[in-house]
Amino acid sequence: MKAFLFKIVFINLIVFTAYLSVKAQDMPLTIIANSKGAPSELTLGQLRAVLKGEKLRWDDGNKVTIALMKTNTPIGMNTCKRLYNMTSNELNKLFLALVFQGKGEAPTFFNSVSELQTFINQTPGSIGIIESNTTNNERVINVDGKKSI
Amino acid sequence: MFKFLLVFICLLILCGFTGELFAQNTQIKGFIDGITTYQKGQVSFGFEEQDLFITSQITDRISFLGETVFKFSPSSPTDFDVSIERVVFKYNYAGNHSLLFGKQHTPIDYWNDTYHHGRVFYPTIYRPLLFDANIIPLHTTGVRLQGDNLGDIKFGYDFMVGNGLGSTDVQDNDKFKSVTVAIHIKPADGLQIGTYFYSDVISKGAIPHGFTLPVKYQVNQNLLTGSIAYFGKRYELLAESTFAYNHTDSIGTKQTNASYIYGGIRVTDKLVPYAKVERINYQVGEMYYVKDNVTSFIAGIRYEISYLAVIKLEYEYDKKEIEGQINKVTAQFAIGF
Repeated sequence: MKAFLFKIVFINLIVFTAYLSVKAQDMPLTIIANSKGAPSELTLGQLRAVLKGEKLRWDDGNKVTIALMKTNTPIGMNTCKRLYNMTSNELNKLFLALVFQGKGEAPTFFNSVSELQTFINQTPGSIGIIESNTTNNERVINVDGKKSI
Repeated sequence: MFKFLLVFICLLILCGFTGELFAQNTQIKGFIDGITTYQKGQVSFGFEEQDLFITSQITDRISFLGETVFKFSPSSPTDFDVSIERVVFKYNYAGNHSLLFGKQHTPIDYWNDTYHHGRVFYPTIYRPLLFDANIIPLHTTGVRLQGDNLGDIKFGYDFMVGNGLGSTDVQDNDKFKSVTVAIHIKPADGLQIGTYFYSDVISKGAIPHGFTLPVKYQVNQNLLTGSIAYFGKRYELLAESTFAYNHTDSIGTKQTNASYIYGGIRVTDKLVPYAKVERINYQVGEMYYVKDNVTSFIAGIRYEISYLAVIKLEYEYDKKEIEGQINKVTAQFAIGF
């Protein structure tokens, strides 16, 4: 009986974890940025170009610094899929090639949203991606007129 | 004793403090590959260059990239040579425009400036044959203006003035400077179309990289390359053609053409069968290059375990004017670390 109960709890835990993971990958994303650097409004095309390392500086002269959740986290995977249209592997390859060619810098990757938020607050020119329900008082960048995508 | 300890502690604190002050984002990465070849009934195992590259952000606008290669060299007492492949100081002066100084991959075609020593990036096992035939200058030491991803068509440019062929890494061998002009556009995701021009005067007596004997005549060299590269989700295409015009006073201008086309289809996330055809054709009377007309065909399969580990298996058939026919099967395991 004990073993049966253990199995039920274990299976439910797996299902729940999988559900949370799938849910996290469907969550709307919000673009946040330091008060210096990024404009308050971007088109989706402009955002994708920035995130791919194609823009070195913002119009105010600040250096573009990209902050992402690690590509093995649910938010990181969501970001790869929806904003880069790439797998985690493709995204890592893109930036390794860019760094090797001397044409850009890799993003700074984080394990937790709070670390990413702190980095954004402290780094002029930084832009990052978090889930919409985790925003605090960060500066949110509208994409195609929307606060989340 | 106490005074000594005090000074020591103060020094430690000072070091820690200055470390904070000058905190940099410095990274070291590298590439290496192991190969197995089967040719003329013989199996050989080996490894190629070990490539280390260092990147460092010095200030908000100044960065550094260094690349060093350790490679087998039978003429070295240790059987290995260390070679400085790139030393690049970059100053990003405005937007996507930068000024670069140092030893760099000559922006002479797509392959040279994109892959070079990064074998884990190569779509095939080996680079195109025109690299080993010394048709293009692989490195140039000098100053370069670079712009990238400008406007809707993502226009890019490189303008470089550097030491010419026959120079060392620290000094030019003559008064002539090489000039490279490259432009490209990226009108769609994964697509890059470019054209490249290189001009140099190679002095009599110079020994350019890859040459064993001095050049007997002054050579005025102009290279013109066109390239199209498409690496999409499913299809891969890379085609480049270089026309080299070498002029000597005694025999006039001779033209060499080196072209290759590579194609691959991604059949699964990790698996890419591919083929490449290459041809190098020298005009009769060519005095600067070693005239060795080549037709080459390869067919292979690439399995990408991850972006840092790739396995390739390739069959190669070459028909060369000097060496004759070559049949070779090669397997490669390339990694980034």
